[in-house]
Amino acid sequence: MRKRLIGSLQRVFLFLSAILASYLLSYVGHHVPSGQAQTAVTNQAGAVFGPPGQQTSISSNETRFQTPEQPALSITKTADRAAAEPGDVVLYRLLIQNTGASAATLITVADQLPLGLTYIDNSVRAASEGVPVVPTAVAIDGNRVVFQFDDLSLGANQRLEVVYAALLTPDAIRGSGQNVAQVSAPGLPPSVAVFQLTIRAGILSDCGTIIGRVFVDKNFDGEQQPGEAGVPNAVIFLDDGNRIITDPEGLFSIANVVSGNRVGTLDLSSLPGYTLAPNLYRIENNSQSRLARLAPGGLARMNFAVTPTFGEEES
Amino acid sequence: MKPLFLSAVALLGASAIAEAQIPTESGYQITINSNLDGAIQPDTALTLREAIAIANGTLSYETLSAAEQALVRPSAAGGSQVSFDLPTGQTTIALTELLPPIIASDVTLDGTTQPGYGDSTPPRAHVPVPVPIVSLTPAPGQEVFRGLTISGDRVTVRGLSLYGFTAAPRSTQTTPPADIFISNAPPPADAGLLSPPVSFFDYAPADLAPQDVVIEQNWLGLPPSGDIPAQTSAFGVSVFNAVNPIIRQNRIEYHDGSGIITSVRAEGLQVTQNTILSNGLAGMPDAIRLEGKIADTTIVDNLLCGNDGSGIFLFKPSGAADIRDNIIQFNGRRFQRAAVYLMGQSHQVTDNFIGYQPGPGVAVTSFPRSDRNIIRNNRFAALDGLSIDLNYAHNVQVQDFQQGDGPNPLRNSRYRREDTGNAAINAPQFSAYGFPLTDNQVSLSGTADPGSEVDLYQVTEVGDIYSPLAKMLTTVAVTAQGTFSTAVELPAGAKVSAIATDPSYGTSEPAAVTTVTAADGSIPEPLPEPTTLPSCFPPVVQQPPAVEPPEPLRLRVPRNIHFALDRSNISAESATC
Repeated sequence: MRKRLIGSLQRVFLFLSAILASYLLSYVGHHVPSGQAQTAVTNQAGAVFGPPGQQTSISSNETRFQTPEQPALSITKTADRAAAEPGDVVLYRLLIQNTGASAATLITVADQLPLGLTYIDNSVRAASEGVPVVPTAVAIDGNRVVFQFDDLSLGANQRLEVVYAALLTPDAIRGSGQNVAQVSAPGLPPSVAVFQLTIRAGILSDCGTIIGRVFVDKNFDGEQQPGEAGVPNAVIFLDDGNRIITDPEGLFSIANVVSGNRVGTLDLSSLPGYTLAPNLYRIENNSQSRLARLAPGGLARMNFAVTPTFGEEES
Repeated sequence: MKPLFLSAVALLGASAIAEAQIPTESGYQITINSNLDGAIQPDTALTLREAIAIANGTLSYETLSAAEQALVRPSAAGGSQVSFDLPTGQTTIALTELLPPIIASDVTLDGTTQPGYGDSTPPRAHVPVPVPIVSLTPAPGQEVFRGLTISGDRVTVRGLSLYGFTAAPRSTQTTPPADIFISNAPPPADAGLLSPPVSFFDYAPADLAPQDVVIEQNWLGLPPSGDIPAQTSAFGVSVFNAVNPIIRQNRIEYHDGSGIITSVRAEGLQVTQNTILSNGLAGMPDAIRLEGKIADTTIVDNLLCGNDGSGIFLFKPSGAADIRDNIIQFNGRRFQRAAVYLMGQSHQVTDNFIGYQPGPGVAVTSFPRSDRNIIRNNRFAALDGLSIDLNYAHNVQVQDFQQGDGPNPLRNSRYRREDTGNAAINAPQFSAYGFPLTDNQVSLSGTADPGSEVDLYQVTEVGDIYSPLAKMLTTVAVTAQGTFSTAVELPAGAKVSAIATDPSYGTSEPAAVTTVTAADGSIPEPLPEPTTLPSCFPPVVQQPPAVEPPEPLRLRVPRNIHFALDRSNISAESATC
């Protein structure tokens, strides 16, 4: 019996200790700068003890003490484009706002650029409430760019705009395109903003796009003019086995085609009654197939002119 | 300014009068006396090639030999009339190369002038065409890809047989070969150093296209013997670019491609009383294929039978066609297509017989947008699909452009007006599966789109609920509430279907059939259908064999009766004398 009572008291003690510890932890590290506005914080502790089912709760007296009002920083990040290719320059724009009630000083803005993006020297411009601000220091550490604003005191509800440029290098296509900007000031929790840039392979792409059309040629020049109707549901085979069907207007397109010399041919069995039309001007287009030299990231065209057929079994 | 303006008008008027007084063209009466072909030279033979050159003005009268000049007489009427006087047995003109296009206006090539034309009984055809005597065909071993190329206005080709005009494939096939090719700026067969520049093919202005060309009473694709030739022609009449061409009373048979095909322009095309059989053997399978500008085209009173694809296929044309009083049957021998496939707007398909087709009767595409197509008073039989099939909700798969897509559900969105054939006019729906007969009459009722007219048809074939519309019964207007009702005289067991037509949208698909029941609700067993052998022509009424009247009995009584008739020395004569 005695042993159980001791055990219960131990648990109550531990519980009270935990509550007190949590309060202590909550206020450890709060640095209150001098001269800031004060605000009242009330506090009251409570404890529960006793065996299970017969617990009694007690409350402490209410303490009240004054705490200084905090500044708070928020950050928003945008860029001038949502997608970019190697060689492009991206302008990032940060909007830092003091949402707290007191001024924030010693503001540090850091941006972790994604792989392949490099900060362009001296490209940073900043302004606070329309007044130009020059960062006191710009530090570059690998992909991390840090702007220090030691001379700026950002008052309550004031905004700081920071714009800087980054160049996409070819490495960018291996990166995530996601960069994280962080604003911090001594004694304040940092605020973070993320921007996701879609990285396109661009000139470094392996793939290109093929577009084309199948139409009834009436002047035998291989080009579609008004009055030369498109042929629906015609089938084009590519050299890699891809099979493409024209739409009701006779048009087709294939994205993500591996670059290089691509050959397409018209499946004549897919358009009964029609066959390849002669081209009176380009001998090359009198072929059953079309050769397209597709550059990486490029666009190539494969047009097939057809004409009503005769003598099907002979060709 | 005013006097100046007046003087300008006066000058214009004076020049117009001066132009009117100058004869614009000189014409000749030309008689061809030789079936030879080859280089133009002054000799005793006047060939078809020389006649065309004379009519075109590229061969002057003065350069002809005296014998040839005797066969060429200036014509006061203007224009050139080419007649034939070929020696008997030498009436096949074997062309060694392509004939020059007929670029002159008012030229008539008249095969009926050949002595003996019309003497024999014309073989059976929809509209009998006399057997032509003069025929044009490539010389053996020669490739001539077009028979006659017509580029002039008011050119008439009459009473000829043209067959065997085709081209062997190169790396691609050639530009369209044909028995008769009608266009200004006819394209050469294939690429070559002499290919004209692209600007030469100026098909945009309608006034450059040949006007009022007449092709009549010819046999195209078959020789005068009527047999299938060893080398079949590619296309019959290729109306590549023409205005108001008339194709009438021809036999157009055995072509690898279509019997009649249009390309750039065929405005005002009239196709009447032709017999178009067994075309599309190895190419474009449709008997009549209409593409390009076809405004005011009429296809009236033709027989289209035994062709390999559709009877009439309209492929993305601009302008409307009037398809009337034709017999379109037993087509689709190679491709299971609709008998008539419509693309475009405001076409009229009326009073035709459409039957024996491995596909629907009339199909209307959903793309490009096709509506206001009126399909009424037709008779259908033995179809492998609906009598009228409107493609639904932008159905554009392969089979939709050949066969249609079957019965449509009711319109379920206003967007169906945009993406369905004939603006998705709903098919009528009968209010019951069966209607009882009362006093030899049956009261039919149902629903249809308000503002439309419902044509009631009797369905005679035993089949599914969408059997062909066999016989038109009556037309009834639909009320503003979307209902219709009428009473018709029908026997018990008869089946009835219906189509709705709204001029703003077109004609609907047929309704699911309903049955006329006896007064007690019973349905008599249908009578077995008579089987008929396929034939392009109506069955010949077998004349009963003429019964020889029995000879009248004649009684003869010999004056003398001899006995001993078995005696050899007594003859029959002596016995009766």
